[in-house]
Amino acid sequence: MLRTLYFLALVLGFILLQSTALNFIAINGIKPDLVLVVVILNGFLRGTREGAFLGFVGGVMQDLVSGGYFGLYALTNMAAGYLGGLGEGRLYRDSRVIAAGLALFCTFGAQMVFYLLLVLVGVRVFVLTALTGIIIPASFYNALVVLLFYGLYYRSHREGLLSDGQY
Amino acid sequence: MSGLSLGKKIVLFGLLVIVMMTGLHYSAGGIEKFTPLTSSVRDLLSPVQRVIMIVGREVSDFVSTPARLIGLSQDFRQLEKKNSELESQLLQFKEISEENIRLKKMLDFNTGLAPQMATEAAAVTGRDHGNWFGSITINKGENQDIKSDMTVITPAGLVGRVIRVSDNTAEVLLITDPRSGVGSMVQETRSPGIVEGVTGGQGSLIMVHIPTDLTPDKGNRVITAGLGSVFPKGIPIGTVREVRKEEAGLFKMAEVEPYVDFNRLEEVLVVTSFKLETP
Repeated sequence: MLRTLYFLALVLGFILLQSTALNFIAINGIKPDLVLVVVILNGFLRGTREGAFLGFVGGVMQDLVSGGYFGLYALTNMAAGYLGGLGEGRLYRDSRVIAAGLALFCTFGAQMVFYLLLVLVGVRVFVLTALTGIIIPASFYNALVVLLFYGLYYRSHREGLLSDGQY
Repeated sequence: MSGLSLGKKIVLFGLLVIVMMTGLHYSAGGIEKFTPLTSSVRDLLSPVQRVIMIVGREVSDFVSTPARLIGLSQDFRQLEKKNSELESQLLQFKEISEENIRLKKMLDFNTGLAPQMATEAAAVTGRDHGNWFGSITINKGENQDIKSDMTVITPAGLVGRVIRVSDNTAEVLLITDPRSGVGSMVQETRSPGIVEGVTGGQGSLIMVHIPTDLTPDKGNRVITAGLGSVFPKGIPIGTVREVRKEEAGLFKMAEVEPYVDFNRLEEVLVVTSFKLETP
């Protein structure tokens, strides 16, 4: 239970960072999506069920803070957590390169879900602009973040605040 | 959850998705006020966001200073050269400027909007946390008489409009957001059109539905049209960068370079009232 609370506190901290300081490291208007990154990594290390569930809860928090379309982030992050979970047990979890590759794939998938949901609520973004301007750059940026910080997250998952010992 | 059969799990998952889709559908209709929970969360987080924003800006400036210094001496030599060129041009422009003032008086063309507006200054405390939307949070809200649909500007030009307010914050939809549409016209050719955002993060705009017989040229100024819009008339938006045919072929569309640098917004002005002076 405590581990879940730590995870959600991390999500809240990242939401705050994303709406403030991360804008200063945006490249061509694109910043890394740290919430999506931790949701994917949580899925990767914990499996599809917990990945999707905590992705959903983290997404609801994002929806609450943003005050916009309710459910947009919840559904997207749930998909991201589930996709990340598909790697659990199938991929080698000690490699940051594999984790980064998975983050790239899952971000791409989750951003496609986000795009489809936008179409559903009537927000028009040209497909090519969405792909080249947001989805692909964001996928690579998230992969880079995982490449740099996966070790830290993995250590926390094994023996830190996010480890099973915190239950 | 683990004790449930696969069928029940699928039904539960389906229900969850339906509930969220319903929430998505209802929240898609423009809600002018935040829900009490969201409002409280935003009011609570706003001062924290402001502090992180200031610290982030300072750190960003500090980190980027050495990189800026490298090119400084080269820039200085170029600037010296440019300075002498500009001095000679300045004399020319003074003459043109005086001519311009005379012509404006003749046309009774009122471009000075500031005297017609009452504004409230606000600091930007946060931005949308994703990459798709372009919105900012400002530190003024209902308690400071900020209301939905108020226009937000900087001295450089149009920023957007207030879409939702809480007690002490307001969310501003930037004109770069794909949900934004601004009734506008090209100042030189008087061609009407709608300026739309492309994606939130990128600071680019497109002007659509321009009549083909009023095609603007590169470098023309785009301003708000005012008619039937929440935006007062005459606020500068940007300059035309490129013109091309729309896919349907009936109208033209133009890429517009905004005057406002949306990645460096720190303070904005909310137009609380606007008095249209007619000649």
